[in-house]
Amino acid sequence: MSAISELSTIHRTKAKTPEEKRLLAKEAGRDNKAGYLFLLPWLIGLVLIIGGPMIASLYLSFTNYSLIQAPEWVGLANYARMFDDPRLHKSLAVTFTYVLVGVPLQLIAALAIAILLNEGMKGLPFYRSVFYLPSMLGSSVAIAVLWRQMFEVDGLVNQILRKFGIPATTSWIGDPQYALWTIILLHVWTFGSPMVIFLAGLRQIPGMYYEAASVDGASRWAQFRKITLPLLSPIIFFNLVLQIINAFQAFTQAFVVSNGTGGPADSTLFFTLYLYQRGFVQFQMGYAAAMAWLLVVIIAAFTAINFYFSKRWVFYGD
Amino acid sequence: MALNRRQFLIGASGLAAAATTMGLAACAPGSSGGGSQGGGQGSANDLALAFWGNPTRNKNTQAEIDAFMKANPDIKIAGQPGEFNTYWDKLATQTAGGNAPDIIQMDMNYISEYGTRGALLDLGKVDVSKFVEGTVDSGKINDKLVGVNAGINSALIFANPKIFEKAKMDLPDDKTWTWDQMIEVGAEVASKAGVPFGVAALLQSDALFGTFVRQHGKELFTPDGLGFDVAEAQDWYDLLLKGQKAKAFGTPEQVSEEQPKPLDQSAIVIGNAAMQYYNSNQLEAVTAAAGGELMKLLRGPSLAGKATERKTWYKASMLWSASAKTKNPDAAIAWINWFANDPAAANIDLAERGIPPNAEILAEVKPKLSAAQQAVAKYISDIKTEVATTPIAPPPGGGTIAAVIFRHGTDVLFGKTSSAEGAQKFVDEMKSNLKV
Repeated sequence: MSAISELSTIHRTKAKTPEEKRLLAKEAGRDNKAGYLFLLPWLIGLVLIIGGPMIASLYLSFTNYSLIQAPEWVGLANYARMFDDPRLHKSLAVTFTYVLVGVPLQLIAALAIAILLNEGMKGLPFYRSVFYLPSMLGSSVAIAVLWRQMFEVDGLVNQILRKFGIPATTSWIGDPQYALWTIILLHVWTFGSPMVIFLAGLRQIPGMYYEAASVDGASRWAQFRKITLPLLSPIIFFNLVLQIINAFQAFTQAFVVSNGTGGPADSTLFFTLYLYQRGFVQFQMGYAAAMAWLLVVIIAAFTAINFYFSKRWVFYGD
Repeated sequence: MALNRRQFLIGASGLAAAATTMGLAACAPGSSGGGSQGGGQGSANDLALAFWGNPTRNKNTQAEIDAFMKANPDIKIAGQPGEFNTYWDKLATQTAGGNAPDIIQMDMNYISEYGTRGALLDLGKVDVSKFVEGTVDSGKINDKLVGVNAGINSALIFANPKIFEKAKMDLPDDKTWTWDQMIEVGAEVASKAGVPFGVAALLQSDALFGTFVRQHGKELFTPDGLGFDVAEAQDWYDLLLKGQKAKAFGTPEQVSEEQPKPLDQSAIVIGNAAMQYYNSNQLEAVTAAAGGELMKLLRGPSLAGKATERKTWYKASMLWSASAKTKNPDAAIAWINWFANDPAAANIDLAERGIPPNAEILAEVKPKLSAAQQAVAKYISDIKTEVATTPIAPPPGGGTIAAVIFRHGTDVLFGKTSSAEGAQKFVDEMKSNLKV
């Protein structure tokens, strides 16, 4: 990218006569064409696989659409209905709890492990893989099934607690008070992918800063706060934005743990799960499409807020 | 002018944000392709047959298709096996895309969704004259036959004789037992045998709740909508609370844990329940999963203590339907007719899809049935004089009733709401679901 822009800068400064300018413009046009040609596969994908369905879903959100009969225009009725849909409000509450608690905890875990791994220990590639593994498995059906069995009344967790003499009889997934927390725990456990990104970011911080700080007598904690955090802040920001967006779209874990019901008592009714129920179980695809757009707006708002506040704490070091 | 670090990082965050968000909105129905082998393709004699199943049914169905094609060489059928949970997503998407399979294995909870919206073929030409009384009506939507019963089923209670033995108790007399006696027996057997459940899975049974409201002179659904009131729903929740207090139906945690479990981990299979709600066609699978222990079949209880007044009915465990848009309605009807009336089909299927509704066919295959299927066939014929009229199929939106009754019921059992309030919410939500 930089090479091309430098070239064009050189051309621009040299180009004097109109004739030369015309030739240059032609050349640039050819360059652009080649660029678009290379982009073509991605562009086609964007238009057909993402753009088209997006426009279709926006249209459907203004219709009453049962999937079986043709959609029927209802204007804003689907959006209006959201105001008195108690399950929708419940699903928003569940999803916000999941995002606002799960994401920070996950990032803290990821950063802590990344810092430990960055201490130049032996066998780093091995540990990195081991800690990365859960994030590849975490959204799989098998792990969700395993999770369900671990947190049952007679599941592994309670059996271990009993070994320590604690009379554990709570069903962590059967009791509406705790069910969501087991899924948040599952989310935290999948800290691997932000951890790898943190690790890469930590590697980029020049060691001389720490050396200089040590010479000046700064404690480890001060070094962490004054050197690591500021220099890592763009990476933290990147992970935060990405993980929030991902967390809002969580589906598999809740679907499998509750068998698609969002139970017990709607305590794990994620927004996407409810959207799925409306669309595919109740045949209200128009309403489901409207819900998808509400989620897009929510995520966009969260991202915008994130970017807005990033000016106050993200340090780009240039 | 090269990008500096700041611009690159901001750009990267922004791009990633945009890309992941866009993927979300693109989850529109159109994007979930699937269904490349739907009806609309190939010649008019190429039919697609979609069904959900298990390994046995997949093998049987392919053998049936082969036998049918041998007898009708000009018709070609391609089977599309599926799994129950994903089957409906796929069918809905295929139907939306205009390429529904020609022949569709249908479920009572979904038949009106498709039937009332004109997606199913009129099957008036299928010969159902030899069907046992009450077994044809389940497939009628607005008096038009759009689903042909593929196997009779009935909601009942399975009892594990081993647990009753352990408790040194006899099985209850299912011809005279009332709901209250069910609680008494359940509590006694649970405490004597030391198992969590006297009776498991009651809360998730819309079918037993159906008999309960019919015993009150109401219906689950009428052509006008919901057929029962808050009062019946509250009585039902009170009954469950009473059973919970008596330690007959398990703790609320156990009840909500039980609901998502697959059959092979269900309470009665792993020896955690003396009795459990099931449908009769599941006996073979439950028996196999429980290591061959043949469960006893008990009639559901009644208010009056008389089996003849418990208002049960012959359910269709599944039905055969055809797409209204099939290019070859005659061939689709020929398959359904063959399945319903030809011993060749029944000799392969036996009772895997439920007890054959065609009396002559049942007589033909009965000697070949397994012990479990024989027991079911006997039960189905035993209750012949006890069954009441067949209720109408749940109207569109009505298929949600099992999930709704369970969800508000869990709130009641956990003490988060009173039974009156839970019942009110249950009825309100059903009414709003029926307004599709």
